[in-house]
Amino acid sequence: MQIIGPDLLVFGVDDVPACHEFLSAYGLDCADYTPEKGGTYLALDGTGLVIRPRNDPSLPLALKTGTTLRLQVLGVVDAAALDAVEAELSRDRQVLRLADGSLRTQDDQGFELAFRVTTRKPLDMPGEKVNAPYAPARPANALGVTQDMPAKPRTLSHVVLFVPDIDGAVGFYRDRLGFRITDTLTGAGPFLRPQANPDHHTHFFIRTPPYMQGIEHLAFHLGGPTELMLAGSRMMEQGYESFWGPGRHKFGSNWFWYFKSPLACNVEFDADMDTHDDDWAPREAPMGPEASQAFLMQWRAKWAPGGGPGGPKG
Amino acid sequence: MSPGTDDPPLCRLDDLAQGEARGFDVPGLRAKVIVVRRGDTVRGWRDLCPHYAGGTPMAWKRDAYLNGARTHLACHAHGAWFDIDTGVCVQGPCLGKRLTRVPLKIDDKGGIHPERPPRGRET
Ligand code: FES
Ligand SMILES: [Fe+2]
Repeated sequence: MQIIGPDLLVFGVDDVPACHEFLSAYGLDCADYTPEKGGTYLALDGTGLVIRPRNDPSLPLALKTGTTLRLQVLGVVDAAALDAVEAELSRDRQVLRLADGSLRTQDDQGFELAFRVTTRKPLDMPGEKVNAPYAPARPANALGVTQDMPAKPRTLSHVVLFVPDIDGAVGFYRDRLGFRITDTLTGAGPFLRPQANPDHHTHFFIRTPPYMQGIEHLAFHLGGPTELMLAGSRMMEQGYESFWGPGRHKFGSNWFWYFKSPLACNVEFDADMDTHDDDWAPREAPMGPEASQAFLMQWRAKWAPGGGPGGPKG
Repeated sequence: MSPGTDDPPLCRLDDLAQGEARGFDVPGLRAKVIVVRRGDTVRGWRDLCPHYAGGTPMAWKRDAYLNGARTHLACHAHGAWFDIDTGVCVQGPCLGKRLTRVPLKIDDKGGIHPERPPRGRET
């Protein structure tokens, strides 16, 4: 099944202006914002988030748990891939073909899904280049960092869901939609990669009681760890609140920095995730601090040592 | 130790608009104290969401502790909502758990103080 991953995540929120403020600071672009209707917030490749007031009648019904995630729009490679999804899922559930050609249905736990031929626009932008001894990646005179360099989300990376039934989720995404399990945190759940995307994960599931079903976090990829550190530091300097990070995950190797948000889920900056193919042998480790990160750091305001014996005030 | 009305107040009642919430660092406490104005009185809660053991801070931006309708305190990691008067979680991951209350008192100049200074030092 030639699925690429989430093109759009659609939210019904209780504070639209707060979400606008947050997502603008996070670096997504919105051309159609109104406080009454919300707007569409795009990363550089055209993937992104749709923010609507929670009672907007155009939204799919909310889950009983109150989660703000109302719809995932998954991009597939072409029309044949869309037909394949339709044929497979129509075997045991209603799949609507909408006027715009997209498909609408639900997964086995009631999460609303749409499928469409992806509208993401591949980027022609270099990634971060690191100079190592005897192995420089940047030409002479090319700088590694400048204070005002851009650090914008390039593409929607992944969504993490609290789900009551992990086996049901695996049964649907792996066995019906052809996702590969790349690794598993036992006690939480599996990381999943759709076939037409080499990224370590576009989905991760965490086992929870039913009253928690909903979104845990979402993440966009940045161009590298330096962009991630800059983007997160800019958020901290403006008073936004870190939830976890910066650090680097073990499974996926992705750098991470999570921020709490008025979307009622964490919103993560992510960079330098591993890619995989079908030769990969999935790993397993018990969920916990050790397996969750190679290292974890905490931001602080800029500081510098000086020359004199200035003491605490100096 | 008697409640230190000599200590500087966290803020004054007049500094807070009706229904406003604000977080204050208190020496000796590892997490802020959230003060919410309710009429001419105030409620105090530790800025520690009970979703995860040990608790984690809840605002999405400095002092942004309330939900959109300003009816509940909210943890903006996963959208838990808490009753402002009782601290009980009414929706989200910590359903049935509650926030830790910080008893507050208002001195005769309107200054808001924790009723008891923190015991020892939290790590
Ligand atoms: S940490 Fe507060 S709701 Fe999850
Ligand atoms: Fe993530």
